[in-house]
Amino acid sequence: MTQTLTPPSTKIPPSTHPLAEVIHRLEAGGTMLPDTPENLMQIIGLYKAYAVPMDFYWRDLLYIAEQVFLDPLPWNKYLISEEYLDRENHYSGDNADLRIWRGCGDAHPELREFMAQGELKKNLPRILHHLWHDRINMEFAEECMRSMLWHRDMYKPWNQFDGFLDTDEYKQNCDRAIKAYFKGNPAMLGLYKLFPDLFYEQCRQMSYYSNLGLFWEVMAPVFFEMSDLYDEGKMTSVPAAMDFLVNGIFAIAGRPIYHHVYIKGECFEIIPKSKGFTWLYEAALPYVEAVFYRTSPFRGTKSYNAQAKQVPDNQPEFHFGVLYADKFPVGTAGIPPTFLAQDMLHFLPEYLVEYYKQHCRGEDDMLVQLAVSFQRSMYCVTSAVIQALRAALLYPLDDEDPEHLMANRQFFEAQMDRFLRPEARIRDIQTQEYR
Amino acid sequence: MLSALVVVPLIGALIVGFFPGVLSPALSRLITIVFAAISLILTIVVGAAFDLTHVGFQMEEFLPWLPDLGLNYRVAIDGLSFPLVALTNLLTLLLAFNSSVGLKPGTELQRPRLFYSLMLLVNSGVVGAFVAQNLILFFLFYEVELIPFYLLIVIWGSDKREYAATKFLIYTALSGILILAGFLAMNWLTGAASFDYGAINTTDLSRSTQLVLLALLLIGFGIKTPLVPLHSWLPDAYVESSAPVSIMLGGILSKLGTYGIIRFAVGLFPETWVSVAPVMATIAAITVIYGSFCAIAQHDIKRMVAYSSIGHMGYIILGTAALTPLSMIGVISQMVAHGLILALLFYLVGIVESKVGTRELESLNGLLNPIRGLPMTAALLILAAMASAGIPGMVGFISEFMVFQGSFPTFPVQTLVAILGTALTAVYFVILLNRTCFGKLDSSSAYYPRVTRTEYIPAFVLTIVIIFLGIQPAWLVRWSQVTSDAIAFVF
Amino acid sequence: MPNIVEIAVSDERFSTLVTAVQVAGLVEALQSPGPFTVFAPLNTAFEKLPAGTITSLVQNPPQLGRILTYHVVSGKYTKADLEKLSEVTSLEGTTIRLNFKKNEVKNATAVLTDIEATNGIIHVIDNVILMGP
Repeated sequence: MTQTLTPPSTKIPPSTHPLAEVIHRLEAGGTMLPDTPENLMQIIGLYKAYAVPMDFYWRDLLYIAEQVFLDPLPWNKYLISEEYLDRENHYSGDNADLRIWRGCGDAHPELREFMAQGELKKNLPRILHHLWHDRINMEFAEECMRSMLWHRDMYKPWNQFDGFLDTDEYKQNCDRAIKAYFKGNPAMLGLYKLFPDLFYEQCRQMSYYSNLGLFWEVMAPVFFEMSDLYDEGKMTSVPAAMDFLVNGIFAIAGRPIYHHVYIKGECFEIIPKSKGFTWLYEAALPYVEAVFYRTSPFRGTKSYNAQAKQVPDNQPEFHFGVLYADKFPVGTAGIPPTFLAQDMLHFLPEYLVEYYKQHCRGEDDMLVQLAVSFQRSMYCVTSAVIQALRAALLYPLDDEDPEHLMANRQFFEAQMDRFLRPEARIRDIQTQEYR
Repeated sequence: MLSALVVVPLIGALIVGFFPGVLSPALSRLITIVFAAISLILTIVVGAAFDLTHVGFQMEEFLPWLPDLGLNYRVAIDGLSFPLVALTNLLTLLLAFNSSVGLKPGTELQRPRLFYSLMLLVNSGVVGAFVAQNLILFFLFYEVELIPFYLLIVIWGSDKREYAATKFLIYTALSGILILAGFLAMNWLTGAASFDYGAINTTDLSRSTQLVLLALLLIGFGIKTPLVPLHSWLPDAYVESSAPVSIMLGGILSKLGTYGIIRFAVGLFPETWVSVAPVMATIAAITVIYGSFCAIAQHDIKRMVAYSSIGHMGYIILGTAALTPLSMIGVISQMVAHGLILALLFYLVGIVESKVGTRELESLNGLLNPIRGLPMTAALLILAAMASAGIPGMVGFISEFMVFQGSFPTFPVQTLVAILGTALTAVYFVILLNRTCFGKLDSSSAYYPRVTRTEYIPAFVLTIVIIFLGIQPAWLVRWSQVTSDAIAFVF
Repeated sequence: MPNIVEIAVSDERFSTLVTAVQVAGLVEALQSPGPFTVFAPLNTAFEKLPAGTITSLVQNPPQLGRILTYHVVSGKYTKADLEKLSEVTSLEGTTIRLNFKKNEVKNATAVLTDIEATNGIIHVIDNVILMGP
């Protein structure tokens, strides 16, 4: 352990929780990750490397949700249209609703360059890059989407998005869209007549495509801005990075989450904005729960034995998310996370490439090293979510009332309880030895 | 020519050991490599000049020494000794190339000059013993190994090295005394004019005298081989030694035991050998089974390989006991194959130990991990284990198959038991591979250093030789065919 | 006696709240007979929120409306009534945790209670409360 923080006040006794040190750090306004320059460099570098592919993820997720929709053979769903690459992010660029990143609103220049040239560094038609697998991989994004779809009932009743998918209102909205989409296609319409629930379930999946796309549309500029601030020397500590995230979460908490489908130019509002679904409750919190904590055993060469209880019986106890993941067996831990690591590898800032070259096996295991840094950065994001929830629902860290401080303490302890299981990497990230 | 094979490494040993002034570790390594390479080239030259059709010894060199005592410097080579000389020189060169295998990460070879000097001395002595044509000369070379090996174990060994080295010294010294007693008794009792092999003729001695003399040799060489129950020095010596020394012990020194049994026990007491052969075959079968079961029970992979070595030496004795032309070719091939495979196994275990820092089965895991593990080492380890288990396509299969095929008509029961032993070989190697190479890499400790190219080269060379001789066994068998036929038809 | 909206409009300290209610289109609802219990955040409560929060909420009236309806409870609960309850269900649909013996509504404090209106009652709080456990 690199540093020991004392509790901010002596109004309440020190925690006796096994992760008391982390709890005291949170109570002092810190993060689960120790505040060291090395950690800051790693998390910011990874935010940047993550944000570029994320800029593609959100665009393609929305493209699939809004344009591809129920295409039974979606060959081209990863070959996103120019229109979606040019689409202005609502949170960056000159026309932003709320400008978080000072950069451009359309696709990030590095993303465009990579899409044009790929790893091969050759200007070939996009389809060739795609078939050569020299592309931004959507598998991770879709896996996250499926996680959110599969782990339903999260944050009920505060998350109303999920409940809405089962209402008649939703089905009626889908019905109109489905009929319009398959107009002149008696085969699919007949199938719809026979198995309507099959189609509704596909619509639900599409709604989660939209949900996740709208969620990441916000996160990409947040991460870009953090990277720029770091490069300018304006972001100098891990808690500062977390505070930026907390402020970001509050600032865009009220962003609407919706699902619009465009069929032959006509907009079908499957989930209209007027439902009042918000970014924080209907996207961010379920996302953190589904992706950071739970997910599911990733498909890959590692097999899990459910009879041996390697997979929990209850979905809420799933613990395969990034906060628990074993980052070492790259390629054997599961295909989607490895794809993400591969995507991020293309956009690492110089300082991180240099840093990784000096450690472990240098360039040979950069995928593992960056995945571990990614894990650290996601612990920082999770810290931000925990602090934001504390600020929203509980009391300021400098509250005078010991009862309030105790309530905060219990909240933090309850959060840390989730990291008591041996798979959690929170103890590992306390030192730099874990890389 | 043959003398050069003995003298060149000896000169190298003297230069590295006693050259005045400072020799940097890199320079002493280079000198050792040069001398070992010269030896290997000389071996190739000898091989080129070797007459494959000639029965008996060839390229004889003779120098009267103390003729009155029957001591002569007489060296020659035949199809039994040549493959072993070649094996010795190959392994010495590979070890000179990388003597740091098995060292803990970040440490360097201690006292490199002494180490290299002793290594060349061992090389010289072993080659001398293989080519010697005089009992006393053989004995001198045989005993010359003792002190260098004692030093190699006691200086560069691990925690229990004093214990292991002393045990090794006592056992081997005892072996030497018994052999010397046997040699002297043979000379006196037969009234031979000299100690030259050709001068000894035991056929006129009474059966019981022959049995006593044979027993002396069998126990003496049995310790060296080793045979169960004379083996207990081996696991300690192999395991406590550093990896290069283990390779020398297992790949080179242990061959002196089986060589001695074939050359002297079989060669000088052919009829008596046949009468004790059933006992020896049974002991061989027990050795195979015992070694294999012990290997299954081990938790230390090096100890596992050490016990597997005991098991594999059993095949050699089995084939020797059967004494058919086929089994004798198998025996000579098996000596080479065992030397190569054991060397590769010890070498790879050494790499694993030096990178991971442990040899415990319980701590090792997932070495095949492509990014953070030791994938190439683990892959070669799998290949070496397959070779050791006698998987077709590698040299171990050829030699074991010939041993079994040749021995079955003579000792069916013992052969079947030994074949069961190869199945057990598969058992313990599956345990070893399953625990070390497969499974999930332990993420709390898996920060292993990279295996360098230099470290790989000896392993690659051994692997290529193992596969090549497995696919093209004629290259191994041709050297010894005439000689083994002659040994088998000696009675 | 004035109704809930009229009370709010007449008090300068509620100007942000009033604007928000107007943007979200909830004026009419709050003028209906009800009765309602309203936890009305002061202007200072809105000022505590990070910059941008209000901006993005004002851009999206349905989402703003949802936050606001979380501050409204159907029925008329006086301080004395609330003291007996540990939680009430808001019009938003989820519950509000209460500790009214200490005048606490979730993590806000009721600084002024029992302001009677024709169609309900107002308790003034010093924090915007947010949905959640």
